[in-house]
Formats: sequence, C-alpha cells, structure tokens
Amino acid sequence: MPAASRSNRHLGVAAEPTSPPGDDELLQRVARGDDAAFGALYDSLGSSVYGLARRVIRDPARAEEVAQEVFLQVWQTAARFDPARGRAKSWVLTLAHRRAVDAVRRDQSATNRERTYDWTPGPDHDVVDETVSLRLEHEQVRRCMEGLTELQHEAITLAYFQGYTYAETAEVLGANTSTIKTRMRDGLVRLRDCMGVES
Amino acid sequence: MTTDIHHLLAPYVLDALEPDERNVFEAHLAQCELCRSELGGFAETASRIGGAQAETPPPELRDRLMAMAATTPQERPVVTAMAQRSRLRRALPRIAVAAAAVVAAVSIAGFVNEHQKADDLRAERDEMVAVLTSSDAAMSVDASTGGASVRVISSPSHDAAVVVGTSLRALRSDQVYQLWTVHDGRTTSAGVMGRGPGMMLVDGIKGVDALAVTVEPKGGSKTPTSDPILSASI
Ligand SMILES: [Zn+2]
Repeated sequence: MPAASRSNRHLGVAAEPTSPPGDDELLQRVARGDDAAFGALYDSLGSSVYGLARRVIRDPARAEEVAQEVFLQVWQTAARFDPARGRAKSWVLTLAHRRAVDAVRRDQSATNRERTYDWTPGPDHDVVDETVSLRLEHEQVRRCMEGLTELQHEAITLAYFQGYTYAETAEVLGANTSTIKTRMRDGLVRLRDCMGVES
Repeated sequence: MTTDIHHLLAPYVLDALEPDERNVFEAHLAQCELCRSELGGFAETASRIGGAQAETPPPELRDRLMAMAATTPQERPVVTAMAQRSRLRRALPRIAVAAAAVVAAVSIAGFVNEHQKADDLRAERDEMVAVLTSSDAAMSVDASTGGASVRVISSPSHDAAVVVGTSLRALRSDQVYQLWTVHDGRTTSAGVMGRGPGMMLVDGIKGVDALAVTVEPKGGSKTPTSDPILSASI
C-alpha cells in the first residue's frame, strides 16, 4: 500500500504540470457563468482591487463596498472583456479605479474635500500575501515611480490616488492645466517604458 | 477644446477628467486612431500602479460575493461590440463630430444632480454616446424666441434620441424644463430636464413625430401646463 501510494504520488509529479489558469482564462470562464472561476479570479485579483480602493478611498468599509461593486460588475459584465485589448487584470483594475474615483468624488463633494498633500507611502506590504512575481512587479512599480520628475510624480499621484481631476491637480500644484496634462502624459510614457509595457 | 483633445488621453487613463469631459473624450476615442493606439499601453501602465497597492481584503467579502454571484444574472455576450466599433469608426459620419462638439459645449451638471448614481449616469452616458456616434444619427435643430435652441440627434437603429439644450436659460428654483414626445397628436412626458442647459436621452422614438419642451413647476407635470417653448420634429 505505501508503495502504491508513493508511485501514485510520483506519477502525479511526473505527469504534465498543469499550470493553474491565468486571469484571462478565468475571466473568460466567468463570462460563461462559472462560479468556481469567479472565486479563483477573486483570489487572484481581490487584494489588488481592495488595495487600490483602500488607497484611493482610505475608509476601509467604503473601500470594501467598492471592491464588492467591482467584482459584482465583473461577474455581470465579464462577457465584455476582450483579451485582444489588454490583460484581465488591467480590465478589472480599470473598472476598480474608476469606481473608486467616482466614489471618493461623490463622498467628498458633499463635505467639500480638503486639498491637503498626503504622501502616505501606501499599505504595509509585509502583511500582504503576495507571490514572489507580484512582489517583483510591485517593486518595479515603486522603482519606476521614483524615476519620475517631481512634477510628473505629483501630477500622477494626485490624480490616480487622490482622485483629483487634472484641473484640481493643477490648482493644488499651482501649475497651469496644459502643463499638468503634459506632465501626466510624459510621466505615463516614462513609467510605461520603465515597466517594459508594450506601447 | 477640440484642438487639443488628444491631450486628454493621459488624464482620461488616470480617471482625472470631469464626467462631461470623459463623455466627450470617449466619443473622441471612438474616432481617433492615434489615441486608441496609445490607450492600451497607458491603461496597462496605470493598472500596474494600481495593482501594486495590493492589500488583503476582509475575508467575509469573498463569501458575500460568491453568494451574490449565485443569485445575480449575467449580461449576455456582446457579440457585436467590436464589429460595431469598427463599423462606427469607418462610417463615423460628420454628424457625430458635430454631436461630440455639442456634448463638449454642454455642462451636464444639472443632469448629474438628477442622477446621483454614477452607474445610472454611466449607462445613460454610454447610450448617449452610442446614439451620437451611430451611423444613422440625424440631427434637427429648433430655435425659439429668445435664441434658445435644442438639438435632437436621433438614431432609428437605437430607437433613441439625445436632446441637447445648450442655450436654455436658467429657471427659477421652483421651475423645471420638461421634455415631451408628440405622437399622433398625443403628448407624453419624456422626463424632467432640470433648470438649465443640459442634455437628455429619450428611449423609444419609434412613431414619435416631434419633441417639445415646456416650463413646468418643480417636479414636473403629468401633462403640459404651458405652451412649448421649443419643439423639434424627428
Ligand atoms: Zn486623439
């Protein structure tokens, strides 16, 4: 008996290494109503979506609500995902960011949002359960962000993490709007090239 | 605005546009090869910045979502999305360019106020853009006394129209503009437009002969209580 089970185990290892399906494949399965794929996609992207929402919205309860809305939207509209136009992760995070920004603007419009600089360095990465490759990707993002000029960095950070419009960003930074649009653009170009993203 | 609209790509990708600018830019994106060619790389870049903020969500969230998915219907596959896009791109008529310019000129602040929910707004926005850029979009304009005008961009294939009132004067706080469809001499409310310039989507234009705008008491009326200040045939 022990021998048999050992050989079974051995066979299992020797067999074709079945790599788990990637996000793109999972999202396409979600579009076909596959709940298990939805769970697996959540396990893969849940921390990115929630972390981004937290960074933009700050309030944990509100961020959780937004993350829930995002995944529900993913469930409902998965059929719109077109792998030819980008990665599933990019698609989901684009939805998440827009929802987070809409939420923070909606919440803050009532209380006349305070325009204070707030360069919190981000969540505590020690507590984040990341795979090594993810950690490397995050490391790369941080390194590339450091390679921006100060104005590029501020323009992108205020817009992306604070949910400021470019006009608000310009006002806060005391620059004119066309300068800010340009800094956002050349900042994105620099980041894109630094991260090795295909243009 | 249109001269440097390409410059809105980076702010668009960072979600740093006001809602009305976002509409305008998305209409632009549908017709601008240059911006579309850069969109993918920029969007991927932005999402990597976003992805680097990962933080473990509360464990209950997963259970809640799985339970919700089990009871939530899904959208059916959008087979025509890409085909529609490319057809649109090829055939994008001058009308769409004109319509995009109209959208650009309009503040939709009033519209936003009446639709607190961003989702509703986005769905309507998407349909508006679809109407404005449809290949069979046709525009009619009606000017009235005082120089106010509405433009109606209608699309039979979408069975919908977008009504744009750029020059409507601001009303007192106890009044609103209300839109009506006229159909075999019968007048039906198509909704309250707000107190100033704005735009509005009208669903179901089949058989509708004309649209009319009246000034009504706040909240709107069941039937028009005054003569139309504007009307436009479809
Ligand atoms: Zn362009």
